[in-house]
Amino acid sequence: MEKYFDATYILQSIPMLLPFLKVTFMVACLSILFGTIIGFILAAAKLGKSKIARNLANGYITILRCTPSIVLLFLVYYGIPAIGNNLGMNLNDIDKAVFVIVTFSLQFGALMCEVIRSAYESIDKGQFEAAVSVGLSNIQAYGRIIFPQAFVVALPNFGNSLLALLQEGALAYTIGLIDIVGKANLIIASNYNAHALEIFLALSIIYWVISIAIEHFFLKLERAFSKGKQSLKAL
Amino acid sequence: MLEIKNIQKSFGESKILKGVDIKIDKGDVVVILGPSGSGKTTLLRCINFLEKADEGLAVFDGIDINLKTASKRQIHSIRQKTAFVFQNYNLFNNKTALENVTEGLIVGRKMPKEEANELGKKALNKVGLSEKYNAYPSELSGGQQQRVGIARAVVIDPDIILFDEPTSALDPELVGEVLTVMKNIAKEGTTMLVVTHEMSFAKDVANRVIFMDEGIVIEEGSPKDIFVHPKEERTRKFLKRVLPEDFTYYI
Amino acid sequence: MSEGLDYKFLIDTFFVALSGVPIALAITIVALMVALPLGFILALSRINRFLVLHRFAQIYVSFVRGTPIIVQIFIVYSSIPLLLDSIVTKYNFEMNVYDVNPIWYAFIVFSFNTTAILIEVFRSALNTVSKGQLEAAQSVGLTNVQAFRRIIIPQTLVVALPNICTVTVNLIKATSLGYALSLQEITLRAKVAANVGYNYVEAYIDIFLVYLILCSLVEYIFKLYEKRLIKYKAVNA
Repeated sequence: MEKYFDATYILQSIPMLLPFLKVTFMVACLSILFGTIIGFILAAAKLGKSKIARNLANGYITILRCTPSIVLLFLVYYGIPAIGNNLGMNLNDIDKAVFVIVTFSLQFGALMCEVIRSAYESIDKGQFEAAVSVGLSNIQAYGRIIFPQAFVVALPNFGNSLLALLQEGALAYTIGLIDIVGKANLIIASNYNAHALEIFLALSIIYWVISIAIEHFFLKLERAFSKGKQSLKAL
Repeated sequence: MLEIKNIQKSFGESKILKGVDIKIDKGDVVVILGPSGSGKTTLLRCINFLEKADEGLAVFDGIDINLKTASKRQIHSIRQKTAFVFQNYNLFNNKTALENVTEGLIVGRKMPKEEANELGKKALNKVGLSEKYNAYPSELSGGQQQRVGIARAVVIDPDIILFDEPTSALDPELVGEVLTVMKNIAKEGTTMLVVTHEMSFAKDVANRVIFMDEGIVIEEGSPKDIFVHPKEERTRKFLKRVLPEDFTYYI
Repeated sequence: MSEGLDYKFLIDTFFVALSGVPIALAITIVALMVALPLGFILALSRINRFLVLHRFAQIYVSFVRGTPIIVQIFIVYSSIPLLLDSIVTKYNFEMNVYDVNPIWYAFIVFSFNTTAILIEVFRSALNTVSKGQLEAAQSVGLTNVQAFRRIIIPQTLVVALPNICTVTVNLIKATSLGYALSLQEITLRAKVAANVGYNYVEAYIDIFLVYLILCSLVEYIFKLYEKRLIKYKAVNA
């Protein structure tokens, strides 16, 4: 077993890892989609009048905030088939990606709820009043005045949540999903654990580049959308 | 044209409006005066359903609307006939000056865009902002923002415009431009109900002044009645406190 | 395995998982003790654009924020032994680098990670404490050090406290990744217990409960502390 550092392994392993980004992205995108839906439902519950709904949403968020991703992932991975078993369903053969998506949708939903809620609350109530006072209906006031402004406010936090999701998603390999981290571990195992450092460095470079790209994308997006935003801060 | 009867409103324990009646005829410019906390702003907000009154009746062109139990359609119809100018302008931050003015026409009244833009530009010209069609609220001074707010109210050609302390949030040197615009639209015969602390506006422009305190109307009459011959002790005390030394009333 | 939950195992394993709490807390506390002062100093260097330090801090933060913590763990776990090995062979120390207690690796990774996160927390907190505060402190004759110690730092801490709470909770949660270092913390202990009879569902319920209790408790303590400090807040607002 040779243990020395050889930087060429970093460059060699990057092309081997990149194709598996597809899996990483697929899982992330679906989690974002479902998580955002969950986030909207939770935010509506938190902002609504029903006390029960509000408490349920708060409880959900507290629990999710206090649960490590890896624990949630395994709870879902072992728990869902067990529940299915008790209901007489065989869920053991579902694709592992499904468990990963369920886990991170649940988690992203909790993050998004706070993002949506704080964005909504940051919009001055006067905006709604002005909209209805010029004859817009409630729905029109939300759709044309409140939502577009809240969207801009939410953008940076949405970007941060996205980065968090991408990184927590790196744990998917622990239940055997062959995404980019899973592939890295496979390569190392096939090398009899030699040059692990180089391959992990390659992995970190890929994540780093993607994160920086996402960050820049959101900065650009923010700039493009932030017309008229300055006075929001002033209010 | 608009009559408000026995309007009452509480926030928690404190009763802000204790049964207020006012009557406004077409073309009236009515100014409501009163110390802060007297319920002036709440009265205005209740008329436009920005607050829900606990009790009260609005008679709009002979149609009774219960302020407490009004249906969504009734609320919408009142809002279509009235316009509101806010103390802190409340311009739509995500829209340009022109878009702010046309939003109510295009979306609220389904007017074709070209027509709305034409009316919108006219309204902005009227308030002296012909150069600022495409400016966002953040690019405008407070006085300019409030003038857009007034244009936004005027453009929908409402039966009455409600002004809620339109100059209170402005720096002193910007008050004049807004008052001038208000005077001009009053001259055109627009019906206005104005809550303000600008005594000169009440004196020069109003044809009726209402003095409110602690949730009730203390006294009302022509500006002359109120400023020269106030009947009530409370009115006198208030005027003495707020009127500048050199404030004189010429007929 | 499909006949519902094994309650006896559930209860027994709960205590097994609980026995991992001291290690999780030890890592958390050490990481915070390193990261709080270091993060603050580097945050200052970011704000004052202090020579190379601010550039270094910028890249450092970007790397930590841009890569998964599990990958950071992998890197430290595979690089430090290599480094140590070369040092040991060079200077002929009596030491087997593969016998190092994995908790040292945990200390390193989590301190490294938390420092970067706290740089950002302190940076935004320092930005909210207005420059006027420093000027006012200087105007009444305080030195720079005094002004920081007595005026700026207390205010910054109050502003940063909710975020420090979040960082702490995330840190506790992240110690669950200690399994990758074969660290005997909450998750690994319960998991090992489950290996015997494949009671994974029960084990993970236990782990889940332990973290839930631990993190809620930490949040609660921070809330109490925040309430005590709230009198400063009016000053900042």
